[in-house]
Amino acid sequence: MFSFLLRRLLVLIPTYIGITLTAFAFIHVIPGDPILIMAGERGLPEEKYLELMHAYGFDQPIWKQYLDYVGQILQGDFGRSFVTNRPVLDEFIELFPATVELTIFALFFAVLIGIPAGIIAAVKRGSVFDHSLMTISLAGFSMPIFWWALLLIVFFSGFLGWTPVSGRISAMFFFDTPTGFMLIDSLMSDEEGAFTSALSHLILPAIALGTIPMATFARQSRSAMLETLSEDYIKTARAKGLSPFRVVVVHGFRNALIPVITVIGLSVGTLLGGAILTESIFSWPGIGKWMVDSIFRRDYPVVQSGLILIATIVILVNLSVDILYGIIDPRIRKKGH
Amino acid sequence: MSVDTAVTEPKQSAMMAALASFWFEFRQNKGALYGLIFVSILAIVAIFADFIAPYSPIEQYREVLKLPPVWAEGGSWAHIFGTDALGRDQLSRMIHGSRYSFYIGFIVIFFCLTIGIVLGLIAAFNKGFIENVIMRLMDIILAFPSLLMALALVAILGPSLENAMIAIAVVFIPHFVRLTRAQALSELGKDYVSSSKTMGASTMRLMFINVLPNCMAPLIVQATMSFSSAILDAAALGFLGMGAQPPSPEWGTMLADSRQYILSDPWLMGIPGLAILFTVLSINLIGDGLRDALDPKMKTSKA
Repeated sequence: MFSFLLRRLLVLIPTYIGITLTAFAFIHVIPGDPILIMAGERGLPEEKYLELMHAYGFDQPIWKQYLDYVGQILQGDFGRSFVTNRPVLDEFIELFPATVELTIFALFFAVLIGIPAGIIAAVKRGSVFDHSLMTISLAGFSMPIFWWALLLIVFFSGFLGWTPVSGRISAMFFFDTPTGFMLIDSLMSDEEGAFTSALSHLILPAIALGTIPMATFARQSRSAMLETLSEDYIKTARAKGLSPFRVVVVHGFRNALIPVITVIGLSVGTLLGGAILTESIFSWPGIGKWMVDSIFRRDYPVVQSGLILIATIVILVNLSVDILYGIIDPRIRKKGH
Repeated sequence: MSVDTAVTEPKQSAMMAALASFWFEFRQNKGALYGLIFVSILAIVAIFADFIAPYSPIEQYREVLKLPPVWAEGGSWAHIFGTDALGRDQLSRMIHGSRYSFYIGFIVIFFCLTIGIVLGLIAAFNKGFIENVIMRLMDIILAFPSLLMALALVAILGPSLENAMIAIAVVFIPHFVRLTRAQALSELGKDYVSSSKTMGASTMRLMFINVLPNCMAPLIVQATMSFSSAILDAAALGFLGMGAQPPSPEWGTMLADSRQYILSDPWLMGIPGLAILFTVLSINLIGDGLRDALDPKMKTSKA
C-alpha cells in the first residue's frame, strides 16, 4: 500500500510543475503588456505603471519571475487580485465553501436518482422503463446546461414563482457565516426563515449542475450492473434461492460499485473545479463564477493562481479516488495503474 | 490488368460484406437510426441553407421586433419562428446556424483525431522518456476543468469562433491520445505485429498500416461523442460571449442574445436551445449505435 501511494505521489511532481508552468505562461502569452491590459482603457500614470511593473515582478527576467512565483506559492502566497487588491488565497478560501455546498447537493441529487434508476433499468433490461430511462439519460447527457438552467428559472422562478432566481440567500438576512456553508450557518443563526431561504436558493442550481452527472451515473450503473448480473456468482446466489432484492443489491450492486465510484470520483473533481456555467447563470458566489468574472475583468493574477488552486483540488480529489480503489480492490494496487 | 482485378475484387467484396454487417448491426439500434435521420436532415439544411432560408440571417426587419412564432398569439406566417429583438428572422437564423454546428464538430474532431492519433502512437511505440513526456503533458491539460481551460485559452487568443474551436480541440486531445495509446499497446503484443516486425516492416508502417486500423473502432466512437461535446462547449463559450461573435447566427450566441428576454419572450431561447439539444442528442445516439456495431462486446442497449 505504501509503495502504491508513493508511486502515485511521484508521478504527480512533474505534472504539478507543468501545471504551475501552464498557469504562469497564461499571463505571459497574452499579447500586449499585462499591466496595461489589466489597467484597461483608463490607462495609468507613468510612476504607477513602473511601480506595478516592479510589484508584479514583470521587470525581472522571465525565468526569475517563474522561480519567484513558485517560491511564493510554496510559502502559501498566491499573489493579490489586481481588482480588489486582496490576497487570491483569501478570496479562494472565502468562495470555496459555496462551491462545495453546491457540489454536494448536485451529487446528492445525481446519486439518489441516477444510481437506483440505472439498477432498475439493468434488472428490467429491455423493458419500456429501461428504454425510456436510457433515452432520458442520454437527453440529460446532451443537454446544453446553460439552457437547461434558464428553463428551470423560467418554469420554477418565473412561472410558478417558487424559487429565487439568483444568489445564495435572500438579502434580508444578516448573520455570521463561520462555516461558509449557508445551510449550516442559517440553521445556527436565530433568523427566522433563513434556512428555508438558503435551501430554496440552492435547489435549482443543484438540479442544473446535477443533471449531467445524474445521466452519467444512470448509464454507468446500468452497464456495470448488467455486467455483474451475468456473472456466475449471481447465478449461484439465485440458485441458492436468495430473494431477488438480495441478489441484486447485496451480491450484484456491491460488485458493480467500482466503476460507479470511478465516475462519481471523477465528477467530484470536475464539479469542484468550478461549475462555470451554473454558477454564472445563478450568480452563485463560488469559484466557478469567480474565475469567469476574473477572466472577463482581466484580473490575471487571480486567473493564474486560481487555475493552480483549482487544478490542485482536482488532482487531490482524483488521487483520493485512486487510493480508495487501492483499498477496495487490492488487484489495482499491484498493477500500479 | 486481369491479375489486378482478381486481387482487388475479393478485397472489395470483403469490404462490402464488412459494411453490410456493420449496417445490419447499426440498424438494430432504433435510437441510432433516428439520430442518423435527424442529423442527415440537418446536414441537408446546412448545405442548402442559402436556398432554404426565407430571409437573410442578419438583415433586420425593424417593423417586426420580437414577433412571436406562428403558433403563438400574434404570430405570422411571414416569420414562422418569429423575429428576435433586432427584428431578424429566427427561422433563417436557425437554418444558417446549423452550419456552425457541423463546422465546429468537424474541425474539432479533425484536429483531435490527427494530433491525438499521432501523439498516441508515438507514445505507444516509444516506451520510456518520450512516452512519459507526452502522457504527463496530457495529464496537465486534464488537471484543469475543460471548460475553464477552454475559456482561459480563448481569453488569451481573443474571443472568436475559430479560437473557441482551437481551445476546445486542445482540451479534448488528451482523451484521444490516451485512447490511441491504450489501444495501440494492447495491439503491440499480438502476433501479427511481431511477425510484421520480423518481416522488416518500418516503424511508420507498423504504426499506421498495421496497428492503427485495429485501433480505429473506439476512436470513431470517441470522435462521434466529441463531435457532440464540441457543439455543446462551443455553444457554452458562445453563450459566455467567448465564442462566435454577433451577428453570426450560432445557436449558443443566439441563446446569449435572448437571455434578457427569458421571462417576457421565452420562445427566443426555446428554439435555439431545443435545436442544440436535438442535434447533440442525435449525434450521441449515433455514437451509441456505432459502439454497438463496431464493438459487440460493449453493447449498451441490449447485452
